[in-house]
Amino acid sequence: MSTPYDIDAVLPDGTIEALPPGTNVLITGPAMVGKREVAFKLLASGHETGEGVLCVSTSASASSMLDEFERYVPTLDRDRVAIVDCSGSDSQRAIREIATERVSSPGDLTGISIGTAKLLQRFSEQDVSDVRHGLVSISTLIQYLDLNTVFKFLHIYTSRIADTDGLGVFTLESVSHDPQTVNTITSEFDCVIELREGEDGREIRVRGLPGASRTWRAFD
Amino acid sequence: MSENGPPVVLVVEDEPDVAETYRRWLRSSYDVRVAPDGATAMTELDGDVDVVLLDRMMPEMAGEEVLREIRDREIDCRVAMVSAVDPDFDIVEMGFDAYVTKPPDRDELTGTIERLLDRAELNDDLQEYYSLVARQSALQAEKTEAELAESDEYAALVDRIERERERVDEELGDMSTDTEFVGAVREIMDDEGGE
Repeated sequence: MSTPYDIDAVLPDGTIEALPPGTNVLITGPAMVGKREVAFKLLASGHETGEGVLCVSTSASASSMLDEFERYVPTLDRDRVAIVDCSGSDSQRAIREIATERVSSPGDLTGISIGTAKLLQRFSEQDVSDVRHGLVSISTLIQYLDLNTVFKFLHIYTSRIADTDGLGVFTLESVSHDPQTVNTITSEFDCVIELREGEDGREIRVRGLPGASRTWRAFD
Repeated sequence: MSENGPPVVLVVEDEPDVAETYRRWLRSSYDVRVAPDGATAMTELDGDVDVVLLDRMMPEMAGEEVLREIRDREIDCRVAMVSAVDPDFDIVEMGFDAYVTKPPDRDELTGTIERLLDRAELNDDLQEYYSLVARQSALQAEKTEAELAESDEYAALVDRIERERERVDEELGDMSTDTEFVGAVREIMDDEGGE
């Protein structure tokens, strides 16, 4: 793919409207600020033009993930959504309805990588070549594994997304980790979207991309 | 892993002519051991072996079984499957680090071995890269941007990180290949205790 991934209308005017293939984006902010919502919207905003979504869910089950997606994309084509479910949930519903690979624990990174590889291969058999990859969330991985292992995995996984010309969208809860940890994780990403609660409501700031303004702006 | 001298390659191949061809191709660069079957392979396998070239179709003990045994014994080596059958996704799930289509040519065989030897360095180099980034992150958390901009030590650290990242990315190779990608993740998980 050589055309950028359109993220029109997800972020406020004047931030960014499209991301080049191979870009990896990190969304950070405190709990309950809406990181998942932004992640899902970024992942789903190419769905109507035939792109695929491949999301690793570290704690939510595949069926609740599917419900969240359908909230943002009412016309979701279930053939183009695939989930690696590490929640340990035994719900069969989503597994019947969309492509799902189950991994016993978020700490099983080899299992996660095999799951994503299988699902990506399935997309390629369906001729879906533009794929947005989600990982929600890095914070769960840090609970299960040493930071250095999570860091190494992110380096490999973001390289995988870059080498397959995908778009990567990851989330990190920034308050529960110390600043050094957040900086270390952040360094692996091309672009960081920060969210916070300001005095007059939610605010957003985008760092890392050329042309992205570093000022906070309102984001409803 | 072999500490000194050339890397050790174990060829597991039941057809003597084929095994001999590989041996001739490889002996100038590697210390080559040959095993005609799975059982012999298991006696030849020790901590010195860096790469195993494993024929998938062998009488008695199939390639998959040999692989399982290698993993069970926790021998730190990388295993390439050599197969005339076009590989399917099972290869990745079974835990092979690479595959070579049979009959391979010489460049293909040595290219695969070199990639697997590179990958053996991956975890250590990623660890080094991580340590440098962690140090940089600590400095960023403690100091202001103006202080960092004036610091020679910080500038030197940024340079080292850049060089280390280039080295890691070269070892990573082409991550669009499934076996390379899963193999790289398996490599970092081997060191994560108990996982």
